[in-house]
Amino acid sequence: MSTLLIGTLYFSLAVHTLLIGYAVWRMWRGENRIDRLMGFDLIGTLILGVLVLIAMIEETSIFIDVGLGLTALGFVGVVALARYAVAGEVE
Amino acid sequence: MIVELLAVITIMVATMFSVIGVVGFRRLPDVYTRLHATGKVGVLGVVMLLIAAVLVTPLVWSKALVLILLLLVVGPVTAHVLALAAYELGIEMKEGQQDDLQGVFTGITAEKIRLQDTSEGVKRGLFE
Repeated sequence: MSTLLIGTLYFSLAVHTLLIGYAVWRMWRGENRIDRLMGFDLIGTLILGVLVLIAMIEETSIFIDVGLGLTALGFVGVVALARYAVAGEVE
Repeated sequence: MIVELLAVITIMVATMFSVIGVVGFRRLPDVYTRLHATGKVGVLGVVMLLIAAVLVTPLVWSKALVLILLLLVVGPVTAHVLALAAYELGIEMKEGQQDDLQGVFTGITAEKIRLQDTSEGVKRGLFE
């Protein structure tokens, strides 16, 4: 891979890490519970982006497998927590 | 060479969409407009990163295709679930928008509270 591509990958990795930092801050100090849940969802999505970038840097596909599991579990978690936030119980 | 240049452009556009999504999450006024912004991170940012991964390392295309399809299904469903939860919790919109669901849709929880211990609620199966 060329130097330009490697530099772009590391730049994008740094930007995504900063964005994860903001999402964690938002999950800690959100306005209401839906705001915090959106922060949780955003953290999962951005970590998936970081995993794809690491898979490109290391040139392996194992991180994309990890991303598949992360996406499925994050989806189930967000749906269950959203129903719990409304009803107080998961039906 | 051209493929690598395409990958660089795709990665930069994906990073731009992620930054736009999080800036919208920071600056927009209420929950519903913020959901509109954070959807961009999942559907445009990460999917374009996966397209760049397919361009750079061609061996991963099947797994990347599965992940792209999963993201395209999961992102809108998550946004709809969160918006429904926000509406049922009674979080109001800001800046003078019109609520078209006023009086038409009251969520399942509000319906349960309204029909608590009435014969109509039992008939509609809301209680055990």
